[in-house]
Amino acid sequence: MIFTIRSLFLKIFLWFWGTVIAIGITFILTWVLLHPRNFQSASETNLADTAWISGKAAVDIFEQRGSVGASAYLQQFTIKTHLKSCLFDSSGSLLAGEVCPALDDIRSRDVPFDVPAFHRRRGFLRVLISLRGSRGRRYIYAVESSERPGPPPGISFASVALRWSVAFLVSGFICYLLTRYLTAPILRLREASRHLAAGDLGARAPAGMERRRDELGSLVRDFNSMAARIEALVSRQRQLIYDISHELRSPLARLNVALDLGRQRKGDDPAFDQAERDIACLDEMIERLLTVARLDTSAAPMTMAPVEFTALVEQIVRSAGFEIQEQEGAIHLSAQGQYVVQGNAELLHSAIENIIRNAVRYTGRGNAVEVSLESTGDPVLVRILVRDQGPGVPEQDLLNIFHPFYRVADDRNRESGGTGLGLAIADRVARIHNGTITARNVIPHGLEVEMRLPLASRG
Amino acid sequence: MDRILIVDDDVDLCRLLAERLLPEGFALEAVHNGTRGLERAVSHEHALIILDLMLPGMGGLDVLRHVRHQSPVPVLVLTARGEDVDRILGLEIGADDYLPKPFNPRELIARIRAILRRASVGNSTSAGNSRNGPIAVGDIHLDPAAREASIDGAPIDLTSVEFNLLEVLLRDAGHVLTREQLTESVLGRKLGTFDRVIDVHVSNLRKKLGHAHGEERIKTVRGSGYVFALRTEAR
Repeated sequence: MIFTIRSLFLKIFLWFWGTVIAIGITFILTWVLLHPRNFQSASETNLADTAWISGKAAVDIFEQRGSVGASAYLQQFTIKTHLKSCLFDSSGSLLAGEVCPALDDIRSRDVPFDVPAFHRRRGFLRVLISLRGSRGRRYIYAVESSERPGPPPGISFASVALRWSVAFLVSGFICYLLTRYLTAPILRLREASRHLAAGDLGARAPAGMERRRDELGSLVRDFNSMAARIEALVSRQRQLIYDISHELRSPLARLNVALDLGRQRKGDDPAFDQAERDIACLDEMIERLLTVARLDTSAAPMTMAPVEFTALVEQIVRSAGFEIQEQEGAIHLSAQGQYVVQGNAELLHSAIENIIRNAVRYTGRGNAVEVSLESTGDPVLVRILVRDQGPGVPEQDLLNIFHPFYRVADDRNRESGGTGLGLAIADRVARIHNGTITARNVIPHGLEVEMRLPLASRG
Repeated sequence: MDRILIVDDDVDLCRLLAERLLPEGFALEAVHNGTRGLERAVSHEHALIILDLMLPGMGGLDVLRHVRHQSPVPVLVLTARGEDVDRILGLEIGADDYLPKPFNPRELIARIRAILRRASVGNSTSAGNSRNGPIAVGDIHLDPAAREASIDGAPIDLTSVEFNLLEVLLRDAGHVLTREQLTESVLGRKLGTFDRVIDVHVSNLRKKLGHAHGEERIKTVRGSGYVFALRTEAR
């Protein structure tokens, strides 16, 4: 699979993944932002309770035994609970406790009465409470948890990065699997439809996919039944063409004999000549139609052998030379080497002859036809270019001229005796030899037909 | 007047052809199915058989195979144009020549004349003519007058075209004969494009002659033609 930026796979995958990540981020943000305002975590509640109890005790001890006693109590408290604590008066001056420089920065904070105020500093949870002594004096009591409660954000960059990347990869993997599950059948379906479009009428989506019970499964089943129907229709049509052409031969054979009999009895007559030319034309058309039908159905196996391609082209050019002399033109061949093609000599001959005949027909009186033969490096191909100096073909028809009986609007083909099948044959012959055929207009005017065929491997 | 048998299921075509061939000096007998065609073909009453390969019932190729077992009579097969396989098979089984259908009747008459002329050369010419006297090249002996050929005294069973081909090759043994020359002298017509008839006949003849000292007696000269090798004689 090749992922282009437009591929469905990439789109679905990125959308899935993006959605999963966005949901994750939203969830975390909601949790982080909303939690401290609306909820007190268990550790905060615990710390507040502890603070209330120990705070009250510390105030009592302070009022009875003074700073020293309270400090001793707080020291004991720290040892037992691992909580640092200090007692301040309402103005923030230290009254009791030893570790209070660490808590200095909170003295100035405004402490609401009766409500514990929570702070976090470097991840340590602190609570400040305001207490009232027996003589109505106000105290501030601060407790700091010495352990890190849970994983507070920003505590360890490495562990957060690890967690994030694990989440990232896992979600990515799941999204990948999901996307594949959705797009793999589409890609396989596409493969099958491409084969179908390329003329492989037997192409079907894999049978395993038909068993899916979802919409994709129905799509695959529909596709396969459509392909089967197309195959049946096309092969029926091709068979029909073949049968018609075949059946037309018997009357044509009789017509030939009858015409000859007529000529014998009534003597030569221009009408007989015309009839004979027309019969010959019909015969040629049927033969070519049969060739096209046979190449399309590929019913008969083609005998393939090494063909001396250059010699074959030279021979065709020689005989085309006689024809073009009659219209005061010329045909030139430039071959760069002796090429050998693995193929069917008769079919190749017919294909090249049709292309060259076509060029001779259209190049116009007194104009030349250029034929060139060269090899291209990789893959190893031989390229034959046939260029005429005729009017060319409208751009939109350049592909259509390879269809049987396709005629360009202002075509003079009819009067010059073409059957409309020459290039169709050339196209099919090229395909059977794993080659290609294309046509393009050249400047200032004229048509250039290019046929590429793989060279036979020598050795 | 030469009697010719045509085996073709197209009744009207046969009627027209009979009409057309009569003034040319050929009496055409028409049969419309393979089984009956075979019966008539091996009756030794005809100078030539025209056989359509697309026949209902017993196919043309089967008829041809059976005829060849029993008779060296010249056979001209009619094939559908472009059906290479049928054409090649027909020639390999022993047809003398083929004509694609639909054909021009004049072409058919020319082919018939060519085949009959070659077939009758041995019988009609005087034995005193040196060009037609018996030939011996190595262990092969050929007597045109008797239309017999043998290797080391053992007779070889040849069709009339194969006999003519061998005669032509032996008379010019050691010299290369082009495919054009061979087609003209053996089949009495010009070599066409993609015309492989002479090559099939050469191949059939090779099979019947066998090898001499492990080598083909008729050698292929690439790009030009065939030669009957004299090497066996030199030893």
